[in-house]
Amino acid sequence: MLFASRSFCCLGIRTYQLQTDLLSRSFRFSAPTTMAFRHKNTRRIEGLDSNVWVEFTKVAADPSIVNLGQGLPDISPPSYVKEELAKAAAVDRLNQYTRGFGHPSLVKALSQVYERVCGRKIDPLTDILVTVGAYGSLFSTIQALVEEGDEVIIIEPFYDCYEPMVKMAGAKPVFIPLRYKNDGNPASSADWVLDPAELANKFNSKTKAIILNTPHNPMGKVFTREELQVIADLCIRHDTLCISDEVYEWLVYKGNKHIKIAMLPGMWERTITIGSAGKTYSVTGWKLGWAIGPQNLIKHLQVVHQNTLYTCPTPLQEALAQAFWIDYKRMDDPDCYFYSLSRELESKRDRMARLLQEAGLKPIIPDGGYFMIVDVSTLNVDLSDVDEKQPYDYRFVKWMITSKKLSAIPLSAFCGPETKRQFEKYIRFCFIKKDSTLDAAEAILKNWNKQPA
Amino acid sequence: QTHFLFLSLQAKMSRPVRARRLEGIDKNIWVEFVKLAATYSKVNLGQGFPDFPPPDFLKEAFVKTVSGKNHMLHQYTRAFGHPPLVKILAQFFGKLLGRDLDPMTNVMVTVGAYQALFYCFQAFVDEGDEVIIIEPFFDCYESMVKMAGGTPVFVPLRLKAPKDGKLMSSADWQLDPAELASKFSNRTKAIVLNSPNNPLGKVFSRGELELIADLCVKHDVLCISDEVYEWLVYDGKEHVRIASLQGMWDRTVTIGSAGKTFSVTGWKVGWTVGPDRLLQHLRTVHQNSVYHCATVAQEAVAQGFQRELELYGKPESYFVQLPKELQQKRDCLVQSLDAVGMKPIVPEGTYFLVADISQFKSDVPDVPDSDEPYDSRFAKWMVKNKGLAAIPLSTFSCGAHKDNYNNFIRFCFAKEEATLKAANDILQKWKREKTSP
Repeated sequence: MLFASRSFCCLGIRTYQLQTDLLSRSFRFSAPTTMAFRHKNTRRIEGLDSNVWVEFTKVAADPSIVNLGQGLPDISPPSYVKEELAKAAAVDRLNQYTRGFGHPSLVKALSQVYERVCGRKIDPLTDILVTVGAYGSLFSTIQALVEEGDEVIIIEPFYDCYEPMVKMAGAKPVFIPLRYKNDGNPASSADWVLDPAELANKFNSKTKAIILNTPHNPMGKVFTREELQVIADLCIRHDTLCISDEVYEWLVYKGNKHIKIAMLPGMWERTITIGSAGKTYSVTGWKLGWAIGPQNLIKHLQVVHQNTLYTCPTPLQEALAQAFWIDYKRMDDPDCYFYSLSRELESKRDRMARLLQEAGLKPIIPDGGYFMIVDVSTLNVDLSDVDEKQPYDYRFVKWMITSKKLSAIPLSAFCGPETKRQFEKYIRFCFIKKDSTLDAAEAILKNWNKQPA
Repeated sequence: QTHFLFLSLQAKMSRPVRARRLEGIDKNIWVEFVKLAATYSKVNLGQGFPDFPPPDFLKEAFVKTVSGKNHMLHQYTRAFGHPPLVKILAQFFGKLLGRDLDPMTNVMVTVGAYQALFYCFQAFVDEGDEVIIIEPFFDCYESMVKMAGGTPVFVPLRLKAPKDGKLMSSADWQLDPAELASKFSNRTKAIVLNSPNNPLGKVFSRGELELIADLCVKHDVLCISDEVYEWLVYDGKEHVRIASLQGMWDRTVTIGSAGKTFSVTGWKVGWTVGPDRLLQHLRTVHQNSVYHCATVAQEAVAQGFQRELELYGKPESYFVQLPKELQQKRDCLVQSLDAVGMKPIVPEGTYFLVADISQFKSDVPDVPDSDEPYDSRFAKWMVKNKGLAAIPLSTFSCGAHKDNYNNFIRFCFAKEEATLKAANDILQKWKREKTSP
């Protein structure tokens, strides 16, 4: 490869010129650029390069598409949250490094809020780690506590990152699906359950952890105390950890209660509970999350943290702390954002369900979270033109984006290899959307059977 | 009833849980020194962050972004980097590297340069791979290589003999070419380069970089180039980007930092620049670790770079003003230390300098049979007794080589005038106490 000398006048006073004597030096080496490039990826990331989001967020980025796919709100975060961030950034020292494991005022606020919720003392310095989103907490937990030789139980469908994170740690994911009860109502997320005997069979001496997600993404199931007790009993019997992803903890609808598995007897010492500012305050772009647990587990997450990114951004943590204080003071008041957001979303949930039902579909009504899944095979859409190699739901969503200008996420992305067929007729809609977005979705669904002009 | 009793007896988590990858990397030097500084220091020249405000234009950009009409800036942005930011970074670094950069494939945003480093080791270092680290080094390199299962191989910068009466320069820290060459083996996966160098302030010359580049090409080794202090170079010196040297673009990941570039270390915005065939693997690690970086700060940093692109080379450019100001602060601290009898080594870049404190042996009690290096004992004594915090240089070297560096401590001079004056007062008082009977 020959380098021509170039100058960059647009750089102003200084021009940058590559040395022409490099030309003469290039012949010293034995064809360096034609040598086989041996630098492939490491083993730990082998096969982990593809990702449903990369595919579908690109496709849905077109603003003419009604985007009910990726789980992000298009409603505004509460104004006091934005104000606190502007205030924080105006303080000079809040633009510099803060405490690595979590900004002091934030871990203090988190300990207060969760002490109240859990009814147990939580030490802000030793029992909490602040991370880059709940995603970062999942990563830190798995890197700290899971390794080659371990098995990790994952309940299907699952938030898609669990599987690659477990694999990147060198461990083996072991899947168990939610199935709807024989005498149950398949349209209710509560009636999708784990078979206790099947679950018990998945545990063995290699089982390091089970990942629990309640309220559940994508199904919206809120695990009951009894269901959690079954899981807890097995964790205790097999001396297994529980990684409890509770990012939607506040988004629980009437008739349901969010129970923290860490609060069941024998579970605090073996559970890492994960939360998210993005989901709590409708600020997914702040990417702040936290892991809460006993010191002897959290300390390992802290070691991962100090060797991966060291600190999280300061002004965001300060603003989040202030927002938490505001809502902590009104946790007895229905106006507390934790409850008001949930009420707002419940009516959006009901609306979304109606829209889908009017289009002839039978959605599974979630008891929590802001997603709704639905079997679309009854629409009998002709997908013969769409890429045959992909599962039905991938093809359906791609078709729906192009011809109906509506996006969703295919459910088989959230399944292990054995269960993909079971769920490949389902797609996931996100309903934390402003009214005008839901209006636009309604218009599309109402006109579903009409051919485009 | 008995069932419950049985379970409660079993309740305690009994099996060992910590993953082996964390072995030997749990200690961290900052924990101790940050605590000491917080407890004792009146003047903290230890940890590396500015105590002066970020530039107004950047603070304004942040507030505008936060409070603006587009509330979607509080939601997820593109995972591999907010489009306005990667576009301006591709433009900016494209010009500096002399090539066309694709913002989507040649740039990736990370949570600080720290995370960019983590990604490089996770993406490229497997068990059994060797990674060459030049000592003294930013401390995380060693632990990150170990966490990735790699073996760090150290090669020291050595200080040339001082010339009588003259202040030394960071340029006097040098690698021995034969020694460097001997560290490359067929197990060598990568070399980590940090220029301008923390803690020494050394700015590697073109010749020194060509030496490293030649070896990388000859042995087909990757270069992880930590250039976070790229704008902080003094006395008209040039920061040469190793990725621009012959044969290096294809095998180099260049790392940068908004924290150091714009004096906003608390924003934790960093980036990697390199060929797609290397960055694709960083993307894989990223999408399986944190996936997105915070949006608001990326938007504000993009606006900051836009301004700098327009003002490039002009006197109002922050990239011209900041090094100018820091050079003055450097000279101020150098003078203070020299006047007192500590021998500062004048840095060519960064906002750190190291000073030889061997003349102060009398002040710090000798502890026989101590494992702790002298500079560490000295730094602790100094913060407790003089209220001045600095970091011992031996903390930036591997365990086996601490003796090479144990007569130096590192000062950070990215501090307000008042802070540097207060440091000077402490040092002057100390000198008077030493010379008075």
